[in-house]
Amino acid sequence: MSADPIPLLSVENLTIEIGGASVVDDVSFHVAPGRVMALVGESGCGKSLTSYAILGLLPDAAKRTGGRIRLHDLDLSALSEREFRKARGKDISIIFQEPSASLDPLTTVGSQIADAYRTHNKVSRAEAYDKARQMLADVGIPDPDRRLHQYPFELSGGMCQRIMISIALICSPRVLVADEPTTALDVTIQAQILDLMKKLVSERGTAIVLITHDMGVVADIADDVAVMYAGRVAEIAGVHSLFAKPCHPYTALLLASVPTLDDAPKSDLATIEGRVPTPDEFGEGCRFASRCPLVTDKCRIEQPPLFDCGDGHRSACWHIDRMPELMEAAA
Amino acid sequence: MSDPNGPVLELKDVAVHFGGRGGLFASPGPVVKAVNGVDLTIGRGETVALVGESGCGKSTLSNTIVGLQAPVSGSIRVAGEEVVGADRRKLNDIRRHVQMIFQDPALSLDPRSTIGATVGEPLKVRGVAKGEALKQRVGELLTQVGLRAEHADRYPHQFSGGQRQRVVIARALALEPGLVICDEPVSALDVSVRAQILNLLVALQKRTGVSYLFVSHDLSVVRHICDRVVVMYLGRFVEMADRATFFANPKHPYTRALMSAVPQADPVVQRGKERYVLSGELPSPANIPSGCAFHTRCPLATEICSQVRPELTPRPDGALVACHHA
Repeated sequence: MSADPIPLLSVENLTIEIGGASVVDDVSFHVAPGRVMALVGESGCGKSLTSYAILGLLPDAAKRTGGRIRLHDLDLSALSEREFRKARGKDISIIFQEPSASLDPLTTVGSQIADAYRTHNKVSRAEAYDKARQMLADVGIPDPDRRLHQYPFELSGGMCQRIMISIALICSPRVLVADEPTTALDVTIQAQILDLMKKLVSERGTAIVLITHDMGVVADIADDVAVMYAGRVAEIAGVHSLFAKPCHPYTALLLASVPTLDDAPKSDLATIEGRVPTPDEFGEGCRFASRCPLVTDKCRIEQPPLFDCGDGHRSACWHIDRMPELMEAAA
Repeated sequence: MSDPNGPVLELKDVAVHFGGRGGLFASPGPVVKAVNGVDLTIGRGETVALVGESGCGKSTLSNTIVGLQAPVSGSIRVAGEEVVGADRRKLNDIRRHVQMIFQDPALSLDPRSTIGATVGEPLKVRGVAKGEALKQRVGELLTQVGLRAEHADRYPHQFSGGQRQRVVIARALALEPGLVICDEPVSALDVSVRAQILNLLVALQKRTGVSYLFVSHDLSVVRHICDRVVVMYLGRFVEMADRATFFANPKHPYTRALMSAVPQADPVVQRGKERYVLSGELPSPANIPSGCAFHTRCPLATEICSQVRPELTPRPDGALVACHHA
């Protein structure tokens, strides 16, 4: 974890329930200014719900039943919808996976960016457009004057994602939540967008919460990583520590199942047998127990807390001491 | 078929163009040259990867091979039989040798058919099996892909994404095709499931000798599963090499850019590696740049590149590369 003393965004013991099942259970993490916190996990692990909770955008069926979310000294979880609207876009912003689904097809991109600015700042249209032009240049769009007057359908997917980033950042929010921002893009464009995000973090000191399932993206851009499984944080650590010495069987197996350059071609990849349990199958114990090679009776009965494995690296597993045995078997 | 040891697929100078035709009142639009003169041979039991950005023509080429799209010129031979210009009956006969697997299994399965009916349909349509024999064959196919025979009565929504992709694979293998075109077969799946499906594809190939044309943008997956790699850019092949040569010594500047763009799942490697980020985006296939189509984004481009189109030429290590400078 980061050693920075003052976190900008703190998620503390966040619990979200849908129909009585805790789909996000006791999740805590902190992000300091200028740092990138990655939430990693497979579909259904609760990473997107966590990010929506930060933005106050939980769907109606989902209820936050516990925990707090704080932005510096502001308690986001205590805000009314009206107050939240003022914070959203100004203090905290989000970009989604599919830019073409998030942009208004009937409005020019310039007007969409300017609107975002004018919502939070009392300025003239002309001033807002100037600001938008500047923003387009900052996100690396060539010929911003022409682009301002174009519609989303006239732009490629990579361009649209840059527009989304412009809208999200035009009011200089302190926290940016990026929900799979490059998943829908080609790798060459993904590399450009990741470089852009790195540049923004270092220049503006924006804190980023990055939701992704791609371990390569995590390795590229994250400072800290929380690996989520079935609604809980399985492991949380600095990025180098996590990849070098995973302390949770799920993380280790997840990393082993990604084909690497050292594998023999067509060899068997490590797999995780079974599937993620559905919320009604969550038991008393560790939620990974049904798929874990290190499982014992204790795992099925008692939920492991996050144990410290040194340097702020924490793992929710009863058998951290048996990890070398698992790593050997996987190799 | 003609030669049991011959290639399963031979493409000669295949070109697929769209548009360009005017209507009653409309003037002719631009011709989109989606595929522009490609040659490719796939041998039995071989896996060839087709790599490139969206819009490069990969999907048009796959659709053309299965006969969903007609080429404007060139020859396509499947197991020795010419597809281009074949009549419907002949085409039907040829098609059983080529099957396809798509990216999203949820979209390729009929939600209202049991998976038994789905997997058995090609067998029924071709009159290969019926009644008890059909049921038994469906059971075998399901077992082969790691499901159970009794799953035949269930519906797609009762399965997870990985299991659904297994169903799709079982259906593709039902007629024992020589070639299966896999169009991004694992990119919609979770990482842990992805490995299961890749292992399955490899195991099935070892058992049945099927060939794969593996369309993907994920080079780490490609490196894992393929024997040979072809890189496509704006409708043409720019590099073709066997796996070892390709990954040890990529030559075309576009290939090198693609490789450098794929993030490695290791922060030390990923942050230490030499970056080779391409500027700009893929030009429109309706307006392909002159000379080498890549010259507008290429860091090595010189004057000749905008004037003369480089042909695929063999290199000492056996790779074919279309570049004036590589």
